[in-house]
Amino acid sequence: MPPQSEGPTRRSVVDVLLGAGALGFLASIVYPVLRYLKPIAPQDGAGALRLTRDELARLEKEHSLIVRHGPTRILVFEDPQQRLRACEARCTHEGCTVQYVPGESVVWCACHNGRFDLDGRVLSGPPPRPLARWVAQRDPDGSVSVAKSPEGSA
Amino acid sequence: MSLYGWLDRRYELGPLVRFLQHKEVPVGTHSLFWYYLGGLTLFFFSVQIGTGVLLLVYYQVGEQTSYESIRFITTKVPFGWLLRSLHCWSAHLMIVSLVLHMFSTMLLKAYRPPRELTWVTGFVLFALALGFGFSGYLLPWNELAFFATAVGTDSVKAVPGIGDWLMQVLRGGVDVSGNTLYRFFALHVVILPLATFAVVGVHLLFIQRQGMAAPRGHAASRGMRFFPDFALRDLLIWLLCLLLLASLAVFLPYGPRIPGVEWELGRKANPLAPAYPGIKPEWYFLWVYQLLKEFPPHLLRIEGPQAALAVVTVLMGIWAVVPWLDRRASREQPSPAFTDLGVAAILFIGFLTLEAWDIGGGAAAQPDVRAVARACAILTLIGGFAANALRFAFFRHTWFVFTGAVLLQAALHGLAGLSYLAAGSIGAVAAAVGLVLTRDRPALAGKKR
Repeated sequence: MPPQSEGPTRRSVVDVLLGAGALGFLASIVYPVLRYLKPIAPQDGAGALRLTRDELARLEKEHSLIVRHGPTRILVFEDPQQRLRACEARCTHEGCTVQYVPGESVVWCACHNGRFDLDGRVLSGPPPRPLARWVAQRDPDGSVSVAKSPEGSA
Repeated sequence: MSLYGWLDRRYELGPLVRFLQHKEVPVGTHSLFWYYLGGLTLFFFSVQIGTGVLLLVYYQVGEQTSYESIRFITTKVPFGWLLRSLHCWSAHLMIVSLVLHMFSTMLLKAYRPPRELTWVTGFVLFALALGFGFSGYLLPWNELAFFATAVGTDSVKAVPGIGDWLMQVLRGGVDVSGNTLYRFFALHVVILPLATFAVVGVHLLFIQRQGMAAPRGHAASRGMRFFPDFALRDLLIWLLCLLLLASLAVFLPYGPRIPGVEWELGRKANPLAPAYPGIKPEWYFLWVYQLLKEFPPHLLRIEGPQAALAVVTVLMGIWAVVPWLDRRASREQPSPAFTDLGVAAILFIGFLTLEAWDIGGGAAAQPDVRAVARACAILTLIGGFAANALRFAFFRHTWFVFTGAVLLQAALHGLAGLSYLAAGSIGAVAAAVGLVLTRDRPALAGKKR
């Protein structure tokens, strides 16, 4: 048996180089694929959103409405005092879409029975976080605008 | 035989023909029935390919076309309704036969060496089948599809580290949208079928190399020739199941109308509409759905849904490596703990599924959860005690720790009013104590004596 030399042998150096080359080769295939699959980030909805005439009519009739603002869906509704309120429509539990239940004055998610108060705070059920708050207000000209709440979530 | 001779001279078919001639199915005191379920699953899968390819002829993926083209297929195209109905029914029957195949393999310990990898490839096929169901669900782009996909894709957020990335890759964006439809379409008609072909190929190769397993203690006294004796029986069962499938598809084209087993097209998906009351996923996801409802918002400093999905992942992981956990079966000794684990899994999933169906909640839109839990616990207790009594009477089973723990949980949750999680924790502790107390019994699995 030949004496074992200390330090790297020619074989081990070649193995390391081959291994590194193979890894680099794989990475050069996998990385573009992963980047390709990741969707392009959407434009953030900047500023306030003004409801259209149709949306206003629906809000008037059904007392609640879901509108899209950039990547976010927002639930706009009229509370029993006829004040406009708004919160994110995506339930914090598993991402279903919530709804305003006028009779019970709650925001409710039908998927797993999560309940929120009108400020988006969790009342009961499995949702782990409050709904993000938005501000809806009636402007003097009768139109309604929706904007991000300055204080963020409730 | 000139064609055979021509092929034989080129490809040497002799060994292959001899292999097929000598292929046998073990026949003993056990029932042959369990051997048909794998082939039956494959049969339903081939129906899925046939009907799926035909649906592709008219189906147009897209936010503006998916729903419309399915409606066109079911209302205008001659026999289009039948094809969609066959595709849906066959999907559900495939899952039924796959689940029966899996549990029979589990309870008869067919996974024991040298067949561990057959079990693992079977588990992968089970996961692929769930993927087929989940991705196919979105393709009609109706309301139910939209929310089922919203919840299903949202749940991958729970994966540590890459959860958010994974969710966006699945959805093709932040929310479920037309982009999700494209991705799920590619998954459903290209990626999953290719993966399934590969894994089914390996699964069948293993079975051809090793032959079918005889249950422990039922050493095969003789064999039945696969060709033609067993293959013809297989064929007969396929024909009977095709008859069943066709009858169901014709007489119940939208399913039996049980929540989780219905495919009425309904309204088109509208991302700006709220989820409607009574929305439920397909029956084989109901237990996960119910678990998500039962978990509190926060648990041990992590969010409830994340904890619930971690529990599901751990249970699935245990299920996948059962051949290595069951050390007694691998020594060809009785392993009653794993038999009991299989029965306990059925009871555990059964209890959650009954709850998800709001059994005992009356016809109210939002049933009383206490009444539902009570009714479902009573049904589970009756089923569990009956099953264990039958096991004792017919198979002399005496080890009931896991089933006992599940029944204890059902009783504490449904009858005593404890929360699902508190009852489950007590059940888990009881199971652990039971394991320790029966450790020295010769009949226990796992521990060396």
